[in-house]
Amino acid sequence: MSAFELLRLALSRLRTSRLRAALTMLGVIIGVASVVALVGVGQGTTSSITTRLAALGTNLLTISPTSQNSDGSTTLTLEDADAIAKLDSVAGVAPEVTTNLDVTAADKSTSTTVVGTTAAYASVRAYEVWQGSFLTDVSVDRGLRVAVLGASTAKTLGLDATDLGTQISIAGIPFQLIGILQPKGGSGFQDPDDQVIVPVGTVQKYFVGGDSVRTIGVSVAPSADMTATNAEITSLLRTRHELATATDSDFSIFDQTQLLDAASSISGTLTLLLGGIASISLVVGGIGIMNIMLVSVRERTREIGIRKAVGARGRDILAQFLVEALTLSLLGGLIGIAVGLGVSAVIGRLAGWGFVFNPATVLAAVLFSLAVGVVFGVWPARQAARLDPISALRYE
Amino acid sequence: MTAATAAGPLIAFDRVSRVYSMGRLDVPALDDVSLAIEPGEFVAIVGPSGSGKSTMMNILGCLDRPTHGSYRLAGTPVADLDDDGLAALRSRTIGFVFQSYNLLPRTTALDNVATPLLYQGVGRSERVRRARATLERLGLGDRTDHEPTELSGGQQQRVAVARALVTEPALILADEPTGNLDSHAGAEVIALLRELHEAGRTIVLITHDPEVARSADRQIHLLDGRIAA
Repeated sequence: MSAFELLRLALSRLRTSRLRAALTMLGVIIGVASVVALVGVGQGTTSSITTRLAALGTNLLTISPTSQNSDGSTTLTLEDADAIAKLDSVAGVAPEVTTNLDVTAADKSTSTTVVGTTAAYASVRAYEVWQGSFLTDVSVDRGLRVAVLGASTAKTLGLDATDLGTQISIAGIPFQLIGILQPKGGSGFQDPDDQVIVPVGTVQKYFVGGDSVRTIGVSVAPSADMTATNAEITSLLRTRHELATATDSDFSIFDQTQLLDAASSISGTLTLLLGGIASISLVVGGIGIMNIMLVSVRERTREIGIRKAVGARGRDILAQFLVEALTLSLLGGLIGIAVGLGVSAVIGRLAGWGFVFNPATVLAAVLFSLAVGVVFGVWPARQAARLDPISALRYE
Repeated sequence: MTAATAAGPLIAFDRVSRVYSMGRLDVPALDDVSLAIEPGEFVAIVGPSGSGKSTMMNILGCLDRPTHGSYRLAGTPVADLDDDGLAALRSRTIGFVFQSYNLLPRTTALDNVATPLLYQGVGRSERVRRARATLERLGLGDRTDHEPTELSGGQQQRVAVARALVTEPALILADEPTGNLDSHAGAEVIALLRELHEAGRTIVLITHDPEVARSADRQIHLLDGRIAA
């Protein structure tokens, strides 16, 4: 018998007992749907985390002080930043002094992060200017009262391109608005688009005082190695801070790529875990199929006897029951994939990372449900094939 | 009788016994039976219940093998065949008609009749064509899409005869074909078998009813597993 004949036989059989077929498939549907949905959610999380981290700059080293002086100043200074900028492996250096202040434009006001930095900030932190211009070396050197707004802040204050050149006030001090940044998008712990960027000297002069900086962002040259550059900066700063070999550094260097790797590895493991838990329900679904197939073999003993009497060989009966189990599991698998993709699309939409379609997951789900059909279908099918035609015909 | 060939008798039993083991006791259901049935014969095997008819029918129908002795069907020694070989021989050579019709449930008359062809590897359209032709020949042309539950007993048995006939088998083996039918429907089925016999088919009819047996050309009486007369 050809595979096509077997499939037709199986489908016509399933048509005669639709409710039972549907209930039997339900186990596999739920199993496959949960595997596909959970893996989809896992992959969506992974990709959203990596995109968000990549948006922060993949070649970024962030230097932060680990100790603070009694007056609140830190050991990192603008001179440190200048020294790091002279390294060959460094493409850009952006020292940052941050503080939280009220920003007012016309009648609207908001409290936001004010970042004092240099012209390199845009390239180091991977921001693009949407309107106007960014800080220049000149405006930074002269400590001008100019401000560039993040996209969210501009929106909050009701500012757009037409407002470039107008005055806004930061903690009561007037600044000229010179630019608005492109939104980076992505939500999360901190909105990267909610900030006001002004020259570093200006912040130190009006708001913070001292010449220490909060952090130094370093973008490593594309040709240079992150780890090597990290070591280079460490030794440079240790020399500059006159630290003895035995003492700990008074700063730490944070490598964005390490976070990226760690995050993807964690969420990858999580995806695997979720998929693994979900596949248990698939196995349970398979047992459901086996259960029904065994009942079916018992119920259809007489049919098997008739088929054998009119010329079916053992292997014809085996194939018939196996294909029936396979049809159940595969059909359940396909419905499950559709449901699972639907669920992960809805979750993806709600969570904001969109719909992640992974053909490999779908293929794996199809193969897995086929395997379930074979594994749990073979035994009942063998029972059917082995029936003795005489007693099968006499079976009531 | 021992030298059965393809050109010889269709059925050749040579000292066939079938012994069932009931615990320590061996019960011979068939005891040293020899017989030959030529192509084209209409034979009735008659006997009361417990005479070994069913065992005879199982062995004749290649559903079972003799414990002793040899059985050749159309020249093929049955003892040499494995289960698949028996299935293939059944499929080629024998058409069964059972007392309880044994049609596939929830399956149309057409598909029931076409089922033996399925196991011969005949294509779908050819199956349908031959099954329809056979049903029409037996006057069931308007019942092809009916399922067994929608047919009367007599109609069901005629569908079963059509199923037995559709493969053009050398032998039609009818096991109490009138047993579940009223006398009128029973007579119709017997008339149908006679008709098939007259068209040249070999028919073996197994029955306990001497009345039914009389419609055959030759009667073989079984009693206690042996041929009585």
